[in-house]
Amino acid sequence: MTQEEDLFERLKNLPPRGHHAMLGLYSVADGPDWVEMACPYDPRLLMDADQGLVASGPILSLIDAAAGAAVIARTRQWRPMATLDMRVDYLRAARVGQTLHARATCHHLTRQVAFLNCEVHDGSPEDRVASATLSFFFMDEA
Amino acid sequence: MIAETPYAQMLGICSLDAGVLMMPVSPDLEGRPGFLYGGVIASLLELACLEAVALELGGVDRRPRPVNISFDFLRGGEMADSFAQAQIVRIGKRIVNATALCWQGDRDKPIATARMHLMLD
Repeated sequence: MTQEEDLFERLKNLPPRGHHAMLGLYSVADGPDWVEMACPYDPRLLMDADQGLVASGPILSLIDAAAGAAVIARTRQWRPMATLDMRVDYLRAARVGQTLHARATCHHLTRQVAFLNCEVHDGSPEDRVASATLSFFFMDEA
Repeated sequence: MIAETPYAQMLGICSLDAGVLMMPVSPDLEGRPGFLYGGVIASLLELACLEAVALELGGVDRRPRPVNISFDFLRGGEMADSFAQAQIVRIGKRIVNATALCWQGDRDKPIATARMHLMLD
């Protein structure tokens, strides 16, 4: 496959739009079946400014973004898809002021479904903030 | 209560009666073109769970810690105002079980549901 035909590379370099742009999400690294994306700290992402409590909502958006990208990293093509389900375990509270990182891996593909897991940290990968599993459904006929 | 938090305000969320949260549509909430971003639908559901717990406990002084949450996405979210409301299934000494529903035009056609566990300190 030539670089020109690689849809994943093309999508990766598009400027963020919509909610990705609002959160300032950006790509960090990727591999044949995984993508790491990050969400920079912003005081608007707090749940409680006095208690220094970071909202978990941005973690959900970051996971969804990284997972969607990981499906394309693995398939190397664009197929219309929808998130079927997502489960997130909150392992500890995120620290104020830290950039969040999510690394999603598409570990299995069937004709119509992609299965993923995703690990989230806020600085050191071995000290995770959240761990998630997701499935995506391809809406076209494979 | 939850609508006053910085993150809920960033999403434009306001609270209606009986723990219903409303998230007005905005280009900032778009995912794939023409559809609401799944991550913000999930966030709205999670905030509805927190709102229901805060209502049950009579305030936000005792903040519950999220343990985990699972979402089912049932329909693509349109670029339209969205609503969510949660129910407390059980509130124990330490653990709260909550479920939540997100809908747009028709409450009987939810676009997503959530099931959440929270821990009380």
